[in-house]
Amino acid sequence: MVVLVNRDTNVLVQGITGRSGALQTKVMIDYGTNVVAGVTPGKGGMEVEGVPVYDFIVDAMEHHDIDAAISFVPAPFAKDASIEAIDSGIKLLVLTTEEIPDQDVLAIIAHARAAGTTVLGPGTPGLFAPGKCKLGAHPSRMFQEGRVGIVSKSGALSYEVGKAMTEAGIGQSAVVGLGGGPIWGISQTEVLRLFENDPETDAIVLLGEIGGSMEEEAASFIADNISKPVVAIIVGRAAPEGKSLGHAGAIIEGDRGTAQAKIAALEEAGAYIARTPYEIADIIEEIRGDS
Amino acid sequence: MKLFEFQGKGIFRRYGIRVPDSQLVTDRNEKVTLSAPAVLKSQVLTGGRGKAGGIIVCSNNEEIASGLDDLFTKEINGEPVSAVLVEDAADIENEFYLAITLDGGNGTPILIASAAGGVDIETVAKETPDKIVTTPFNILTGPSDYQVRLVARAIDYPDARELTALVKQMFTAFTESDATLVEINPLAQTPEGLVALDAKVLLDDNAAFRQRDFFQELLSEQNRLLNASETMEREDTITFVDLEGDVGMISDGAGTGMLTLDLIRDAGGEAATFCEMGGITSPQVIYDAIRKVMERTPPVKSLLIVLIGGFNRMDEMAEGIIKYREEHGIDVPLVVRMCGTLEEVGKEMMTEAGLPTYDSLLESVDQAVALAKGDC
Repeated sequence: MVVLVNRDTNVLVQGITGRSGALQTKVMIDYGTNVVAGVTPGKGGMEVEGVPVYDFIVDAMEHHDIDAAISFVPAPFAKDASIEAIDSGIKLLVLTTEEIPDQDVLAIIAHARAAGTTVLGPGTPGLFAPGKCKLGAHPSRMFQEGRVGIVSKSGALSYEVGKAMTEAGIGQSAVVGLGGGPIWGISQTEVLRLFENDPETDAIVLLGEIGGSMEEEAASFIADNISKPVVAIIVGRAAPEGKSLGHAGAIIEGDRGTAQAKIAALEEAGAYIARTPYEIADIIEEIRGDS
Repeated sequence: MKLFEFQGKGIFRRYGIRVPDSQLVTDRNEKVTLSAPAVLKSQVLTGGRGKAGGIIVCSNNEEIASGLDDLFTKEINGEPVSAVLVEDAADIENEFYLAITLDGGNGTPILIASAAGGVDIETVAKETPDKIVTTPFNILTGPSDYQVRLVARAIDYPDARELTALVKQMFTAFTESDATLVEINPLAQTPEGLVALDAKVLLDDNAAFRQRDFFQELLSEQNRLLNASETMEREDTITFVDLEGDVGMISDGAGTGMLTLDLIRDAGGEAATFCEMGGITSPQVIYDAIRKVMERTPPVKSLLIVLIGGFNRMDEMAEGIIKYREEHGIDVPLVVRMCGTLEEVGKEMMTEAGLPTYDSLLESVDQAVALAKGDC
């Protein structure tokens, strides 16, 4: 296993009969992901895109080996479904659902930590290792197999950057969406460590945004623990103060959470700073030229 | 949802957390039954009311009368005072800070305590961070007794057993109310024990589906006081922020929305709106988003829609854009950047409707900025 998934990862889809779950299942299968089973309580016996649907994960496990689950379960039921996945011994849970009550998210994370399950999200587009495994909603045409890892809070921003890199002929080893917050399962620093240890990743692209302090924490982690080149962008340079811009934490309060402060911290840690997705591609090309 | 102090104290009382005897006065002519010494506290949702003169300490009953006159004609940071909490003055020996909230980065709830109570905790955090004790704990077990004993030692509070009981009450209030913050500042040490002199409680709007009656009651109470008509149902998932410029901006992601604001500025323009639809949308959502931007005053000079769908489907986006244009017309230049899930279908629908789409974000931004300036 490279960064959480590989070509052989067997995937279970929770909430597979829902509108989003069914569409994304089709898109994942079209890409080549091994979607082996789906679960929706009360819909056992159905098929979605040729994938057998079960009432419970334990039922699915009688017939299939499962390595990872991706959940499209609506917010009111997301906690129960996540606990079921964790209790079933699944070691990677991708939680795409948005607007789950905070305390449910905390309970899912606490339960997962005790069981040794990695939770990506909530509110994440998922994880995409081009050419290997698509465990999420990323539009696959914007990405290609390669050796640069991307970590991002925002889904759409990672597509934008993937598109710019791919158009410049730079492929990706894995694209990891953390979710928009305000609570995260796997953290930015944990993903940075995974990329640092991944033999198939040569460089890391970190997509940050205004608000909070995650980028500053990433900066100090990079300074101490990351030997691979890191290229970072912080979006929200033109953001006004005191307005939350779509993500719960994306707000500048006084002099806290500004793009300038984050850019300074990352520069100090030795990261390359880009202002646009296209500059990210340019910088990676320069780094490659130098080495 | 942010609660008034008196609402937070209502919750505290229910969980056995001691608060001073009080009377909520919502009309200046209401008879005050409490007598001095007392504290008059304006009930506003804005922070920093103490500094803004919203709290008056009264040593005799005449001061209560004049204080109420003063507060009911006052605005606290622009917010009119519609209620005043009259409270018995506590016999304060010492003031602490105590709160339960969540640390999103670590994915745990945290207990925050400080011996420096009664002052703005942000200021304490900035100037003397060593005076704040932060204790992460497991949401499934709650804060453990030993953790509170450690806190008692760190803030030098002599009765660890009393503090433990209080923290348990706070935790129960936190979980059962679906709160994201339960804060007592100051928490007073008095001869009768610990008393919550203030209450700051934030509730999680995402939990409204299972807290319906409870949240509704609190919201109705706020609506009555503020003469407002807020509802718990979120109309939609759209984040709409008014800005200073003239390029109307709609995006299907927060990150790309922020990036687009930056690129608009880099291109020499300024955005008029940040309008983000959320990752999972529908034709109705983009229809509503366009309406919000087009109804904004002053009117935008160009409309830039930036789409890069994952969950979001381009056929549905095209449907919503076309429907809005058919029904209302869009009388400013429209620039649509469309790519992502089902983009062929979406682009074909747009072309049939006579609406061009762009593939390049930079080109679409340049175009929208130039059109807003009337350059092309």
